[in-house]
Amino acid sequence: MKATISDSLEESKYKKVTDLNPEEEIAPGSALCAGCGGLEGMRLAMKVLGENTLTCNAAGCFTLISVYPFTPLKGSWLYTTMSGPVPAAQGVRDALDIRMQKHGLPKAEDLQVIVVAGDGSTNDMGLSPTSAAIHRNLDFIYFCYDNEAYGNTGFQHSGASPLGSYTMTSPNTPEHPAGSEQTKKDLFGIWMAHNPPYLATVSPREPIDLSNKFKKAKGMKGPRLFICLSPCPTGWGFDPKDTHLIAKLAVDTGIFPIKEFVDGKVIHTKRPRKRLPVEKYLERQKRFQHLFAPKRRDDIIAQIQSNVDAYWEQYDE
Amino acid sequence: MLRIRLHGRGGQGIKTASQILGTAAHLAGYQAQDFPLYGAERRGAPIAAYARFSKNIVLERGPIAQPDIVLIGDETLLSDPMAAVTQGTDASTLIFINSRHTSHDLKQHYQLESLPVQLDISELCQKYIQKPMILSTALAAVGARLMGRIDLHHLLQAIREELGQGRLGPEKIAANLKLAEEVFQKAPSFDLEFSESDAGFSASRLVTLERRPPVDSAPLIFATGNMALRKTGNWRTHRPVINYEECNGCAICYARCPEGDIRMDTNDKPVIDYDHCKGCLICATECPKHAIEILREVESWN
Repeated sequence: MKATISDSLEESKYKKVTDLNPEEEIAPGSALCAGCGGLEGMRLAMKVLGENTLTCNAAGCFTLISVYPFTPLKGSWLYTTMSGPVPAAQGVRDALDIRMQKHGLPKAEDLQVIVVAGDGSTNDMGLSPTSAAIHRNLDFIYFCYDNEAYGNTGFQHSGASPLGSYTMTSPNTPEHPAGSEQTKKDLFGIWMAHNPPYLATVSPREPIDLSNKFKKAKGMKGPRLFICLSPCPTGWGFDPKDTHLIAKLAVDTGIFPIKEFVDGKVIHTKRPRKRLPVEKYLERQKRFQHLFAPKRRDDIIAQIQSNVDAYWEQYDE
Repeated sequence: MLRIRLHGRGGQGIKTASQILGTAAHLAGYQAQDFPLYGAERRGAPIAAYARFSKNIVLERGPIAQPDIVLIGDETLLSDPMAAVTQGTDASTLIFINSRHTSHDLKQHYQLESLPVQLDISELCQKYIQKPMILSTALAAVGARLMGRIDLHHLLQAIREELGQGRLGPEKIAANLKLAEEVFQKAPSFDLEFSESDAGFSASRLVTLERRPPVDSAPLIFATGNMALRKTGNWRTHRPVINYEECNGCAICYARCPEGDIRMDTNDKPVIDYDHCKGCLICATECPKHAIEILREVESWN
C-alpha cells in the first residue's frame, strides 16, 4: 500500500522550474525589503499550497506582508502576537471542524491552516505553544522563515542567531570578540523529538526541493513543520542581488543542511558533495566581518567549522 | 532657525547624513536637532530626515513643512508624488539634487520653481567608497557647505564621530573623510539667513476617540490579493532589462524573483512587472545567460 502512495508521488514530482504553479499566490506590492529571502521561500510554498488556506501570521518581519488596508494573499490571514500564531491556528482549526460537523459547512470549503512565523517567534516566544500543538497532533502546516534574528525591530539576537554573528544585542566588543557566543538552537532537533508526521528544512535557492516537500506535506495530516533559511540583505549585510548566492553558500558549506524527517528517519535531500569551507559563506556578510578584519579570528572561524563538521559526522555513510 | 529636509530611500544613509549634519552644526556652535521619519517600509522605500539649527534653543518639533534647504539624495524621488520632495518649497528654497543632469535640465524636466543646485555625488561616492548610493557622508557634506556656516574641520570631526559608532574600519572612515573633503570643495556655498522666530506653532486640539466594539475598530480587510494596488516600482534605483535576443526562456529569473514580479508569457519568455519590481536585481545576477542588463533609473529620460 505504502509503495503505491510513494509511486504516485514520484510521478507528480516537480522536476524543473517550469513545473512550478504559474499562478502567483502572493500578490506583489508588499512592504518587505527588496531581495527578501523569506518572501521568496513563502512565495514558492504558497504556489504549492494554493489559495484555500488560512494563514496565522505571527508578528515579525512578515507583519509587512499585509499593510492595512491591503493583503497580498488570496486566502485568509489572521495576524497574531509573536507567541500566538499556533494557539490561533488551533482556534481556527477547531472552528472549521465544528462548523463542518455541526453547522453544515461543506467539506469543499475546508481550509488548510498555516502558521507563518519568524525565527524569534518560533525559537523563543512561541516555542511552548508549538510544542503543545505538535503533542496534540494539531492539523496544520508551520512555515518558519529563519533570518537568524529579530529582523523587524532592527536585528536583535534570537535563539536562531548563529555563533560569531553580530546583532544589535550581540555586538562584537573587546570582551566579546565573537559577537554572538551562543550556537544556533537546533530547532529541527527540538521539533523532531516530538515525532511529527513531517518536518523539513527548505531553502529559497532550491525551489524544486522546496516545492516537492510542500507537496508531500500537503497530502498529509497533523503537524507538518518547515524551517526556511531566509537570507536577509538588510540584517546580514549583503547586496539584495546576492540573496540566492548566500542561500546557495549556506547549503554548499554545510551550514544549513537541507533535510526532511519522515517515518522516523532524517534524509538529507540536497547533500553537498564536497563541503566548502565555512568562511566562503561568512566572509560575504557584514554580520561576520569582525571575524576577518581588522584581525582575522581563526579561532572563532575554526569553531564554526568544527561545529559544522561535527554535525555532518553524525550522518557519514 | 534654519530648517533642512533630506530625502532618499531606506538603505542610502539618509538618516546618518542628518546625524552628521546635526553633529557638525553642534560642533560649530549651534543648537541642533536631527531625526528621520519613515513608515513600516524597508530598504528601498522613500524616507525623509530633518534637521533644525539655531543659535537659540530649538523648541520646534515634528516634520519640517517649509524647509530652507532640501537635499535630494535620490533623483528618482522627484518623479514620485508620494515622496513629496518639493512639498512646502518656494522660489527661495535651496534645492539640492544628486544628479548627472545640469541644473537647467533638472529645473525644466521636474518643473521646479527655481534653479536647483546640482552635483553628481554618486560619482564621487563611487570614486571614494565604491558605493554610488551610500550617500550619508556626501549628502551631509553638501548640506554643511550649502549652509555656509559649518567649517570643513567641524564636518570631518562629525563624520569621525558618527561613522565611528558604526562598524566601519579606519580605512573606510578615511575614505569617507576624503569624500567629504572633495564634496565640500565642489559644492557651492550660500550665506542663508536664519529666521530667529519659531514658526507660529500652537497646540492642536485634543481629539477624543469614541469607544467602539472590536468589530468596528479591528482592521479587517475583505478584499483578496489587493496588495498589487500598492506600486513598489518607485523603490527601484536600477532597472533590470531583459535582452530578448539572448534570453533562452529558462525561467530561472521567474523562479528566483521574491516578489513574483516576473511571469512567463505565451512564448515562454519572461516579462518584468515594472509597476512592482523593487529593483533587487536578483534576476540579473541569477540569469545563466547574462541576458538581463542593469540600467540606472534616472538615465531613462536622457
